[in-house]
Amino acid sequence: MKWSWLVVAALLLLYPFVLTGAFYERMGADLLLAAIAASAWNIVGGYAGQISVGHAVFFGAGAYAPLLLYTQWQLPPVFGVPLGMLVSILIAIIIGMPTFRLQGHYFSMATIAVAELVRIVVGNWDFVGAAIGMMGPAVPRTVLDLSFRSSIPYYYIFLAVLALILGLTHFLSRGRMGYYWRAIRAGERAARSLGVPVRRYKLYALMLSAAFTSLAGSLYALMIGFVDPESGFGILVSVEMIITAALGGVGTLLGPLLGAAILVPLKMATNSLFGGGGSGLTYILYGGIILVLARFEPGGLLELWRRVAARATRRKPVTHAA
Amino acid sequence: MLLEAQSVSRAFGSFMALSNADLSVDEGEIIGLIGPNGAGKSTFFNCLVGDLVPTSGRVVFAEIDVTNASPEAHARLGIGRTFQVPATFEEMTILENVMVGAFLRHPNRHDAREKAREIVAFVGLGGQADQPARSLGTPGRKRLEIARVLASEPRLILLDEALAGLTPVEIQTAIELVRRIHQRGVTLVIVEHIMEVILSLTQRVLVFNQGHTVASGSPSDVVNDPAVIEAYLGRRREKRRRA
Repeated sequence: MKWSWLVVAALLLLYPFVLTGAFYERMGADLLLAAIAASAWNIVGGYAGQISVGHAVFFGAGAYAPLLLYTQWQLPPVFGVPLGMLVSILIAIIIGMPTFRLQGHYFSMATIAVAELVRIVVGNWDFVGAAIGMMGPAVPRTVLDLSFRSSIPYYYIFLAVLALILGLTHFLSRGRMGYYWRAIRAGERAARSLGVPVRRYKLYALMLSAAFTSLAGSLYALMIGFVDPESGFGILVSVEMIITAALGGVGTLLGPLLGAAILVPLKMATNSLFGGGGSGLTYILYGGIILVLARFEPGGLLELWRRVAARATRRKPVTHAA
Repeated sequence: MLLEAQSVSRAFGSFMALSNADLSVDEGEIIGLIGPNGAGKSTFFNCLVGDLVPTSGRVVFAEIDVTNASPEAHARLGIGRTFQVPATFEEMTILENVMVGAFLRHPNRHDAREKAREIVAFVGLGGQADQPARSLGTPGRKRLEIARVLASEPRLILLDEALAGLTPVEIQTAIELVRRIHQRGVTLVIVEHIMEVILSLTQRVLVFNQGHTVASGSPSDVVNDPAVIEAYLGRRREKRRRA
């Protein structure tokens, strides 16, 4: 475990020196951004086992806040980062308070409903740019605008944020919070009987996840300098987070990063091969991945790897079935 | 008086699953709840642990009214319970399962782990502490279930058929375990089908039939009570024809 950490950290730190050129630099930044968003989703969807299909609402809030401050009041977009996080935490409370009373799919359905509602409202609200969206500063006025021509500064900012999220998730998962989340995922009734305040801990997970997803959205807006209802609040934003986490391994620390390392290059390849029509193909691919994962390996690639590795080291016939 | 239930009733729609059940448990007692299937003992059990809210009546634990309290509030106050079908956290190890219970009184992870290790050894799973819980069979799962709730350091544990599905030999070791738990100073309420368990463990028994408590007293008195025999075996033939 210690080893794999060092290897992953070294690979990520050295990536821009190995794969140079604007295309690969941009791919690296995109990859890290996808990993950040999926890791944020993973806190509530993986560790606490509450599947949100509407995380785009937090991503969108995070993406809109910086560009709104810039467009309306010419403030540095970075100031919008805490604003987006605050709004996202409030939305998390509004979704979580009523739905976490119930078990099962109510939460998932509520997240879709809220995200779609917000997307439609934002798309018709002139103050936030309606269907056209909003732009960031075209030329950096000060360094506070965090507007760089190269992708490399973004790459290292994203890497630091990812390290922060994974570090915090790892820390929490080892303590009472993490044990309670896993107990809730495994069985709410049993968890409650052992004194786990299920609703409160689900809400903690959602609030934390929302704040970090919002941060991912802000980073996206800062790098791209543009957001519209579809790229901020579209349902595919949510779906991408889920697939990225699920492909690598839901509820594992490095799963979302692994998922991003596979999906982002794949998406860029289909986009460059098939041009604009490639985006449609990407979603067909997503559908295929969901099907294959659900049928053969719900635990994701890390789970598959763990089993293969265990079989290789054991090298003797299994005497008792699991 | 540690636990007191006063005329607890519970209806599901128009069906009275339980009517006017009374129970008082003193600190240090072992009480048995018996009765045929569908007699209302599980409903009563669930009213006592907060899984069901009684339609009427009152449940008081250590002078606190817990009638409407949530299951997690029951656990915090010191009422633990096990599940009839073990609700093991499959993806965790045995030790981690028990740690979830230990975290209730020990927020620090090292303290919780230490407490869990002690309890896992106490129930006889010490050698397998770091094995995945899903590797356990039924007897092991029942033990783990007991270990988890013990780790939350309750004053009272309600066991829901904790011994069902065990072989006679396993039942003997399980009875031994229940005795040792009692010696730790834990008060016990046991729901059980197996008479042997009730006779050898409990000091007082409450018998349920068709939603009512039909008898209570020492186990040896209760097994000879005509109402109890009727509940389990039915009436004599000629009487039933008349009815």
